[in-house]
Amino acid sequence: MADDTKALAQGLKRRDPQLLDQLIEQYQYRLFRYLLYLTSSRERAEDFFQETWIRVLERGHQYDGKYKFEAWLFRIARNLVIDWQRQKKMQSLDALTDPEEGAPKEFAALNEPSPLHLVLTAEEKTGVHASLDRIPTVYREVLVLRFQEELGLEEIAGVLAAPLSTVKSRLYRGLEALRGAMQGGPA
Amino acid sequence: MNENLHARSEKLIAQERIEGISLSERDWLAAHLRECHGCAQVAQQTNDALRTLRAMAIPLPRGLAERTRFRVQLRAQELREREPKRRLLWIMCAMSWGLGIATAPYIWRAFEWAGEHFGIPKLLWQMGFGLWWTIPALVAAVVVLMENVRLANENDQAR
Repeated sequence: MADDTKALAQGLKRRDPQLLDQLIEQYQYRLFRYLLYLTSSRERAEDFFQETWIRVLERGHQYDGKYKFEAWLFRIARNLVIDWQRQKKMQSLDALTDPEEGAPKEFAALNEPSPLHLVLTAEEKTGVHASLDRIPTVYREVLVLRFQEELGLEEIAGVLAAPLSTVKSRLYRGLEALRGAMQGGPA
Repeated sequence: MNENLHARSEKLIAQERIEGISLSERDWLAAHLRECHGCAQVAQQTNDALRTLRAMAIPLPRGLAERTRFRVQLRAQELREREPKRRLLWIMCAMSWGLGIATAPYIWRAFEWAGEHFGIPKLLWQMGFGLWWTIPALVAAVVVLMENVRLANENDQAR
């Protein structure tokens, strides 16, 4: 794997167009899914998706191959969303979403439907999937990174630029919220 | 059964999935889950919840990858076109700094001579020498800064 990531790092440094095409193809679903969870908007997720790959092209030389490529990719995507949120609200995304500093809030505005709500089919909206809709995004983000993307705890900490203890605490609470939501209780 | 045992069991159920647990803890948990229906249900619910999360499919917008590839290719082309200009800028900066360093002793002497010849105060001609030294670097810094600002504006407009 170390050789793969080093080869990847070298290709990104060269701005190898074939490599970028291949990476877009390979990571399109995972990146879009992550962005959708963060932005709560399909259109914004699409914009950030494109912007993320342009950043990958421009800043490919910064990827050193020490960590998984997807962790670096998600971090770029997250930073773009944070920059946008800051420009929009002049506030830190972390302050908006860190449950340790108060009640957890959604990334999305309160009057907007959540990303899950938007993408679920009518059948799913009435089914078990709907319960996931109620989990605060800050928890859903770490759950997605851990259990869908299967990133390690340190890699998640890298993506979030947060201490390991924060990641663990969010995961424990997130898992509890997920279980609660599935039971139809409070998330 | 002791409440502490249930609390420990619930903690281990989560810990197993998040951080992993030791072999002895796994044995203890397995034994407890065989005896305790409530905790076994919690473990089952956790498994079900994670399975649902993993299985959740989100439809990808049609043509997104193609549109992205197109934009990335355009940007790559822009960067390639800009590369010689940028390289030229850096070569000019490097030459300017190199020449500045190489000629510094002569220029110093020239400033010194001019200072004595025209009766310019020492501090003034020394400041003049300092300006002569820093101006190329300042110009280069301003050019690079302007280039970065232009790039940031371009990115904002593109978004």
